[in-house]
Amino acid sequence: MIALERVAKAFGKRREVHAVRDVSFEAPDGAITGLLGPNGAGKTTLLRMIATLVIPDAGSVAVDGLDVVAARYAVRARIGVLSDARGLYPRLTARENVRYHGALHGLAGKPLEQRIDTLFGTLGLAPIADRRTAGFSQGEKMKVAIARALVHDPATILLDEPTNGLDIMSVRMLRDELRALRMQGKCLLFSSHVMQEVAALCDRIVVLSQGRVVAEGTAPELIARAGTSGLEDAFVALLGSDEGLAA
Amino acid sequence: MTGGAVARTLAILRKELLDTFRDRRTGTVTLLSSILAGPIFLLLIFNLIASQAERARELTLPVMGAEYAPAVVAFLERQQVNVTKAPADYDAQIRRGDLDVVLIIDDAFGTDVAQGKPGVVRLVFDRSRDRARASIDQAESLLRGYNRQWGDQRLMLRGVTSSVANPLRIETADLATPQQSGALVLFLVAYYGLFASVMGGMAVALDTTAGERERQSLEPLLMTPARPAEIVVGKWLAVCAFDALVVTLTLTGFYLTLAFAPLPPVGVPFLFGSREFGRFLLVLVPMILMLPAILLYVGSRARAYKEAQANVSVLLFVVSLIPLVQLFMQRKEPPWLMLVPVSAQYSLLNTSLRGEAPALGQLALSWLAPLALIVVALVAVARRLSKESILSGK
Repeated sequence: MIALERVAKAFGKRREVHAVRDVSFEAPDGAITGLLGPNGAGKTTLLRMIATLVIPDAGSVAVDGLDVVAARYAVRARIGVLSDARGLYPRLTARENVRYHGALHGLAGKPLEQRIDTLFGTLGLAPIADRRTAGFSQGEKMKVAIARALVHDPATILLDEPTNGLDIMSVRMLRDELRALRMQGKCLLFSSHVMQEVAALCDRIVVLSQGRVVAEGTAPELIARAGTSGLEDAFVALLGSDEGLAA
Repeated sequence: MTGGAVARTLAILRKELLDTFRDRRTGTVTLLSSILAGPIFLLLIFNLIASQAERARELTLPVMGAEYAPAVVAFLERQQVNVTKAPADYDAQIRRGDLDVVLIIDDAFGTDVAQGKPGVVRLVFDRSRDRARASIDQAESLLRGYNRQWGDQRLMLRGVTSSVANPLRIETADLATPQQSGALVLFLVAYYGLFASVMGGMAVALDTTAGERERQSLEPLLMTPARPAEIVVGKWLAVCAFDALVVTLTLTGFYLTLAFAPLPPVGVPFLFGSREFGRFLLVLVPMILMLPAILLYVGSRARAYKEAQANVSVLLFVVSLIPLVQLFMQRKEPPWLMLVPVSAQYSLLNTSLRGEAPALGQLALSWLAPLALIVVALVAVARRLSKESILSGK
């Protein structure tokens, strides 16, 4: 479970860029929580704070009760992150890429290899497991990055715009995979600026705008709250404009 | 360090080495140039020395106006000089480098000498041409020898001993051992040894820092439980290992060439046997450890490989300039030189090449600054990796 309480973060020399202003929400286990907002709403900064890479100026972030600042390495062991930056090592094979991160998470030997085999089996990577990733397609690279993020079987999974640059088949594969993880009781936090995606997948939606939470709830709840007929109109109404929102 | 920290550091080291050896292009270029550098370079140098020695031994001296001073020409021929007739355009040929030196005998030589005036002979040459220097020096000293011999004979005819006209007898004792001569060769071998330790780690260090950031694989790495210190130490060890390999291969190239290649016989300008090989490595260890640390720091400050390459050229410039400054200073080296990285190593490499063992005290001193720099550089890189700003700017 992820819990954010009154989190704020500003960047710049004089802290003049307020990326996140006052954000509180919870993402429960066994559910996919969607973080929806236009570009620049603060989604990546929030995910980086949960992933312990960015320290909040104010407020607190906890993963399974562990504070991301005080217990950052314990938190890192519990989370799997598919970040905005998801580069692979092109000269290493898919298996070697995943093995490297497995080793950094303290896995080794047979259990690690078995875990990689399982992941590659689920993701359909087995046929290209021992090829260098340099020649991989976007979809194949994405799958390797997912395998890398999940190699240590984390209880909490963060995904930053995971469908960027993916074809429709890969997006469907990803959705199935995320639903399977939800079935296993994982806590999933999924950020996107594409509302269809969030609506199709997420149990709960947190709508962000200019670093603040402007609405929170299930899709029907959001529609009811905005008093509109459809989801798209609801988002536009909640954000106050449709700027930066992809159809 | 706990067991986990060691395991993670080793995992990083292993991955970086694997990644490096997979990089065929960089690997091949670096390794080939290090292995071939010694042989190619020694072959060129030795041929240069041999051809100079050759020229000095078999001096060919074109003479203009030989008929005015047959005695001079006869003397030169007795001294094994190959006297030829000078071409009319001798000055142009000297400028072009086709001729080294030409002797012009004044047409009034005979009458001048008969009237008791000095006969004029003129040597024409271009001293800026290194190749010609041996021939010039030899022609000059032969003519001076003839001058003295002739003068001595005249004095003797008048019943005066030659010591009256030569109150000073100059005796020289050159204390250079065979391996102390050939200072230029010495300089170049030591220089190349140092250079190998910079070049060896460069591509790897930049790829693993700036390259990692450019490839967008740094952020995922920072999200693992690996501490910044472990990441830095793992990468540093990997770069050091590759650097050590390149330096060893470079020195092996020198060693094998000198031991087995059919180099022209020029006497031994310096020694580079297995003992010197070992001393070289010993002297270069601080460089093999320090330069990768500095290269990692330079690389970590850049967002992309290209940017890092531009920054690293400053480091290259400094490292390659220091020995040159020392070469031109031509002073006895001050004791504090051992505290200056690169300078100290260059000086100790020269000591080794002269066939002497570097003093242990000096070796110890030469380690101080590099050790400090390693710590400073690695801490700086680790701190950069913990900063939020490392994530920005893709």
